[in-house]
Order: sequence, then C-alpha cells, then structure tokens
Amino acid sequence: MTGVIDRVAPLRWTARGLKWLGLDGRGLVVAVPVLWLLVFFLIPFLVVAKISVSEAAIALPPYLPIFDWDGIVATITLNLGNYGYLFEDPLYLRAYMFSIRVAFVSACIAILVAYPMALFIARSPEPRRSVLLMLVILPFWTSFLLRVYAWQGFLRSNGVINNFLMWTGLIDQPLVMLQTDFAVYLGIVYTYLPFAILPLYANLVRLDGALLEASADLGARPWATFVHVTLPLSLSGVLAGFMLVFVPAIGEFVIPELLGGPDTLMIGRVLWSEFFSNRDWPVASAVAVAMLVVLVVPIMLLRTVQSRSEDG
Amino acid sequence: METAPLQGAATTKPWREGTEEPFVRIGRVTKKFGDFTAVNDVSLDIYKGELFCLLGGSGCGKSTLLRMLAGFERPTEGTISIDGQDMGQLAPYDRPTNMMFQSYALFPHMSVEKNIAYGLLRDGMKKPEAMEKVADMLRLVQLEKFAARRPDQLSGGQRQRVALARSLIKRPKLLLLDEPLGALDKKLREETQFELVNIQETLGITFIVVTHDQEEAMTLSTRIGVMDAGEIVQVDEPPAIYEHPASRFVADFIGSVNMFEGHVTDDEPDYIRISSRDLGQDIHVGHGVSCSMGQRLWFAMRPEKMRLTREKPEGVINAFPATVQDVAYMGNLSVYRVKLRGGRVLSATRANLTRHEEDGISWDEEVWVSWGDTAGVVLTQ
Ligand SMILES: Nc1ncnc2c1ncn2[C@@H]1O[C@H](COP(=O)(O)OP(=O)(O)O)[C@@H](O)[C@H]1O
Ligand SMILES: [Mg+2]
Repeated sequence: MTGVIDRVAPLRWTARGLKWLGLDGRGLVVAVPVLWLLVFFLIPFLVVAKISVSEAAIALPPYLPIFDWDGIVATITLNLGNYGYLFEDPLYLRAYMFSIRVAFVSACIAILVAYPMALFIARSPEPRRSVLLMLVILPFWTSFLLRVYAWQGFLRSNGVINNFLMWTGLIDQPLVMLQTDFAVYLGIVYTYLPFAILPLYANLVRLDGALLEASADLGARPWATFVHVTLPLSLSGVLAGFMLVFVPAIGEFVIPELLGGPDTLMIGRVLWSEFFSNRDWPVASAVAVAMLVVLVVPIMLLRTVQSRSEDG
Repeated sequence: METAPLQGAATTKPWREGTEEPFVRIGRVTKKFGDFTAVNDVSLDIYKGELFCLLGGSGCGKSTLLRMLAGFERPTEGTISIDGQDMGQLAPYDRPTNMMFQSYALFPHMSVEKNIAYGLLRDGMKKPEAMEKVADMLRLVQLEKFAARRPDQLSGGQRQRVALARSLIKRPKLLLLDEPLGALDKKLREETQFELVNIQETLGITFIVVTHDQEEAMTLSTRIGVMDAGEIVQVDEPPAIYEHPASRFVADFIGSVNMFEGHVTDDEPDYIRISSRDLGQDIHVGHGVSCSMGQRLWFAMRPEKMRLTREKPEGVINAFPATVQDVAYMGNLSVYRVKLRGGRVLSATRANLTRHEEDGISWDEEVWVSWGDTAGVVLTQ
C-alpha cells in the first residue's frame, strides 16, 4: 500500500496534503462518515433550524431572512413564536402524543411478531436459514409505496379480506377496516417488521447452543430456558429492533395518509399540511425540530441502556 | 455378599466380582449422523461410585457418547439405563444426570451464585434454602469470595470450578464431565485432578469423565474405556491398560512404545520366540502365549522397561547391540534414541537419579539394549 503511494506522484502529493491537514489512514476512514453526516444531516438540519426561527411571509422562499444588514448595523431577528405556537394550538401536542402512541404500540406488536420468527430462522439449519432471511428482505424489492397501496386493496369494504369473509358467510356486512387506526397499526407493523426481525435474528443466531443445553441439563423445561436464558440474553436485540420500528414510525407520513382516516392525526401529516397546504415553512420547520427533540430522548435512553448492558 | 464400605470405588472393585448390578448400562449403542457412524455398537457397564474415564483421540466419539447419556443426542440403536431406569426418550431435564460442559457454558448474565443456584431454582426449591446450599457448594470449591462476580470476571480455573459446582449442586446420580480440565494450563490441571478425585470421593457421586489426555485418565480413574473410531477397544483399570494393552492401538495410544512386527518361531507352553526383521536375533518371551507357529504378531516394548549398558549384560537373552543417536534431557528422565544394527531406531528412557552423571551414556556410544523376558507385551491384533 505505502509502496504504491510513495511511487505514484499524484498519490504522494495527495497523501502529503492530507497529512498536512492532520489526516492519516485512520483519520480518513473516520472522515468519510463524518463528512457525510456533515453534508447530509447537520447542514440541512441547521437550515431547517434557521427557518424555524424566522417569520412566515408571502414571498419566495416563504419566510423572511433572520439576518439583516443595512450597511452599517447587522440585525438578527429570531422569531421563537413558531415554537410558542406549537404549544398554543392543542393540535400539535395531540399529534405528537398520538404519533408516539402509535409508534410505541406498533413497535411492541412488531417485536412480539418478530421474536418467534427471528428465533425460528436462527434455529433453522443452514440452507433453509438463508432462504428464510431472503424472504424477510424480499419485500424491499418492491416499492414501499406500492406495498402500502396494495393494503388498500385488501382492507377496502369490497377488498380481498371482506370479500373472502362474506363468501365464507362469517359476516354479511363488510367490516370497516380502511381509514381506521387499525389499518395504520397494521401498515406500520407490516412495513417495519423486517427492521425488527433482523437485529433480533443477528442477536439470537449468536446465542451459544451449549447454554440452552446447560439449562435443560439443570432441569429447565423449554419455556423456563426461554425465560431465564434466551430472553435475557437477547434483550439488546429486542431493544435495537424496537427502536428501529419506533423511531421511523413516529414521523411516518405515507401510511397514515394512505390507510388512516381523516382524524388519524400523526405528526408527519401535520408537518406535510403545514408545509405544502399552508405554506407556513417556519412552523413546519419548528414541528420538525421539535420532533427531532422528541426522538433524541429515547435514542439517548437506548444508548445508555446498551452501554450499560455491555460493560456490566 | 459383603456390603462395601461407603468409600467410593477406590477400595471396592465391583467390576471384578461381577456380583453388583451395574449403575449405568450402555447396551449396544450406535449413533449415526447421516451416513457417518460416530459411535459404533458400544456396550459398557459402569458401577456406582466409579470415576470412569472415556479416553480417545479427537473425533473418536467420546463427546457423542456422553451427550447420549445426558439426553442431548438420541441413540440410533441400543439402550441406555441409569440406576435401573431406562433412559429411552427421556429429555435432559428429566434425567438424573448433570453435565459439566467442555466450554463450561456458564450463563454470562448471571453471577456465580445465580449460576450455581440455577438447577435448584428450576426444580422449584425456595430461594433461601437454595442459597444455603449454594453457600455450602461455594465453600467446597473455594469460591466464597467470588459469589457476586459474573463469569467474565473470573480466571479460567475459577470458571472451571463454578461449572463443576453448578453441575454438582443437584447431587446428580451421575455426573458427566466433558474434558473438564482441558482448558487449564498444565500446573493447574495437575492440582485440579486431585481436587476432582477428592470431591468425587467426598460426595460419592458416579463420574464419567471424557478426556483425550492419557495422563489425566491414569491419574483420575477407577477404570478407563479406550475409544477408537466410535468403538470401545478396551476397558480396564489404569495399570492394566498400561501394562496389558489389548491391541496395538491401545499400546500405542497410552504412553509411548517400541513396536516390533514378527512371527512365532517357537511356541512352547512356558515361552515363545519371535523373529523380527528389525532385530538380528529372536525375541525371547518368558511366558506362554496362545498363538500358533508362524503366526504374525507384534511385540510392544515400553521405553522405560529397557536397559542401556556399555557391556553386554550377563545372563540376559534379549540383548542387542546399538549406537546412541540422540539424547534428550527431560529433567526427571532422559530419552535415548538408539539405532540397532539393522537400522531400526528405538527410544529408551533412563531416570536421572543423580544431578551430575559424569559417566552417563552419551552420543555415538556403542551400547547394549536389553530387557527381561517378561518386560514386553505380545499383541495378536
Ligand atoms: N451433530 C453432529 N452432526 C454431524 N456430525 C457430528 C455431530 N456431532 C459430532 N459429529 C461427528 O462425530 C464425530 C465424533 O465427535 P465427538 O463425539 O465430538 O468426538 P470427540 O471424541 O472428539 O469428543 C466427529 O467426527 C464429529 O465430526
Ligand atoms: Mg469432545
């Protein structure tokens, strides 16, 4: 490696330049994700944060600059009223609470469904295991939007499920499923299930089979072994799977929009209508920043729990 | 029948008398994994209080046999009974056995105390009572100070003792140990061997120990079952295994040996003579052997049973001239590699009785290799 860099002049100069910047091989490896986060996360976030403290206006873009310089005096106008507005109108608080509730319940259901599946895959012999894992990832090969849309076809009053139930004679009136909270839960659990299965699988497949044998040998029946050995040792996987469903579900827009009713008020939808219908960019940005704060708390919680389970 | 004192097998040898019912009966057990036969038609009787060693090279099926006793594998054919009870389809959690795993398999999320208490609590014992028993057990294995630690905070030797304690706490009728000392370094292993024997004698539990270490098997066991390619090739007490191996495999596997191939040239009731191409003259064996004239057989000679002298020893029939090729000093003894006239190289050991042996036999010396006429073993298979 070093040999090539030393021999080829442009590479050598680049290496020297990077070294001058204080970057060696290890630094470079870290620099790429840092740069990525900087360009695609931090800078956009700062832009959004900036908009959230500016004043709405009928203009292009639809807000006033917060920075003003008349040649002599520079003035910065921070408009915190957008945030105040979030507290004034109960709509926002309700939307936040409802989003958290939906995300939490969906994540719990997803874990309950994913755990036996992950366990089954992890305990399967090798050729079958790969096939099953493939099947878990398979839905990603079609568009997420199409799949959620397809659920409409299932849940409609003259959809597949209702038609089938009527045909069997179990019901004689179609069940109202579309445009209900039930449909939203169903859609979220369905969409995010692979994100719950994969970390659980990764955790369970590493579980040492000898521990299960030791447990059985000491007199534990299968259920006791699960409760006392398998479950406690997979808690970090449960937590990771939970978070991977919970966090994106809070801000979910497409699923409540397509499957939910008009009163399924999730924060993603509020954000959308604020941004596109009302063209109130500052309030929309404030909603987004507040959502981030709401998300940061559980993520921090996860990190402390995980680091604690790792070192003690 | 005399009642044996409760002393363990060290003083009684029920397998010799054959009057006592065997405690563990393994009857013609075969285990196949697909086409591969891991254990092949093994029959074995083990008596109460024994410390029985299953000895064999890696992959010969020792662990598989042990796992069938514990209930983790089902025999493809054959039966296993423990204390008169047929194990048949019994699950591991219903068997009167406990196992100490080769990897120890300690629960990483539980303290030492909880690991040891696990078996008692699963049996529904109340916590205070269980903890009392755990405390006793911790004393037995000298781990009182480490009760609250987790397995990853222990040394290898301590972990080994936790695993032992955990498998003993339920006082199983039969304890199965898979390479219990395999992960320890040599010094610790030797100390622990004696501890293991002590504990076994104190508790009077029947042990079956799997090991690939012949020294360990010799030190620990009341009897050894030598395994090769899924079969039990010999079952005997340690001295008998060493001094009277039943086959070339056993002679070769246990300790080191010089093996001569030859055929019978003289077959008398009180002696035989064997002619081997490696030796310039016949080997004289001073006892009768059931064989026929001209039959092909093998003569096994342990290195420590041969004598090396500068002069030809008087009155010894089996004496052969040789040249010293190499001397390896091992501390307690020296290993000599000597070359016979025919070109065959033998190894012979001598105990280092003094600290400075000015007069010791050295490289390139012409010597005589000799042995008594009952020092070797004649093997027909
Ligand atoms: N579950 C299994 N599936 C297939 N082959 C196995 C299995 N368990 C053991 N074997 C094979 O059986 C043979 C004996 O294994 P084992 O009993 O573990 O040997 P060891 O004497 O070293 O303990 C080995 O060749 C091993 O590869
Ligand atoms: Mg083994």
